Amino acid sequence: MPAEAETLAAIAVMALVVYVTRAGGYLLGLQVRHIGWLRPVLESLPGCAFMAILAPAAWQGSAVEMVALASVVAIMWWNNSVVVASLTGVGILLAGERVLAVLAG
Amino acid sequence: MQILGMRQSLWLGARASGGFFVSTFLFGLLFGAAAVSAGIGHWHALLMSTAVFSASAQFAALEFWLAPLPLITIALSVALVSARNILLGMAMTYHLDGYSLSRRLLCLAVLTDPGVVSTLRLERRADKLAYLTGYGLALLVSWLLSTAIGLAAAGRFGDLDLGALAFAGPLVMATMMMLMVRGTFRQLPSWLLSGLVAILLLESGAPDWSILLVSVFVGALLTRFREYVNARRS
Repeated sequence: MPAEAETLAAIAVMALVVYVTRAGGYLLGLQVRHIGWLRPVLESLPGCAFMAILAPAAWQGSAVEMVALASVVAIMWWNNSVVVASLTGVGILLAGERVLAVLAG
Repeated sequence: MQILGMRQSLWLGARASGGFFVSTFLFGLLFGAAAVSAGIGHWHALLMSTAVFSASAQFAALEFWLAPLPLITIALSVALVSARNILLGMAMTYHLDGYSLSRRLLCLAVLTDPGVVSTLRLERRADKLAYLTGYGLALLVSWLLSTAIGLAAAGRFGDLDLGALAFAGPLVMATMMMLMVRGTFRQLPSWLLSGLVAILLLESGAPDWSILLVSVFVGALLTRFREYVNARRS
């Protein structure tokens, strides 16, 4: 088990790195905000980043994960309820493998 | 329409976090249980959740939690999974004016993915820095409470297949994407292109760090191109 000082150092490093990414992007944006055409580009970045993470994960996903993803997308589209979508998705992930195992005999 | 004050905006942000309060709570429970499995003391796990406040970064670090701790590997791994925060921060460039830089930098400590999405979609005339901060603080409360419960109840997760929940992160991304899509279709082509490029890079064996960078860059280029074409037409 890591020593106390080592653990505290690791937590400090993690906190610093995460904070630098959070504040760094904003500070970087402040440096280029005078460029008029940049605003729509900067505001499209979160969606691009989410899709760049989500799409490869979905591409490699199992059947159960695809069902969970489709359920989340459908619930969000028709109901727009984050709570219902999240709980349904996680429920399918937890129960899905067991159901598939039962079905496979 | 009257602009909401700082306290009202802070409270509005905290209330708006409701949906993601639940999913954050779920991840906190899992992190608490995983921290016990990794041999992290309760006090250290709670300190980590307070100081770092990032599910992806904390789960990434757990993979390397063996003595002696590889600090550089942990730092690089945390930086890789947190790189999207740079883009989220950049998206907030035009929305946090009206306060000193030091106050803005302080509030950015609780910047969260759903907080940014919600702030970008905010239609009421509110103080956006306070809104973003209220949103982040509410999720921090959820994260800390659930980490503590996860630590205390780690043994009860024995029957659950926690590995099956590895896909829970992408599901949260999907809920945020759907919130954004429902807000506007204008940037949908750029988002879809980023996803497509990410899959192509994955299939071509590109290194992990380059997938986010290149696919977001290509999506941003398309946004710029479409804005340029629209400006020329009008």
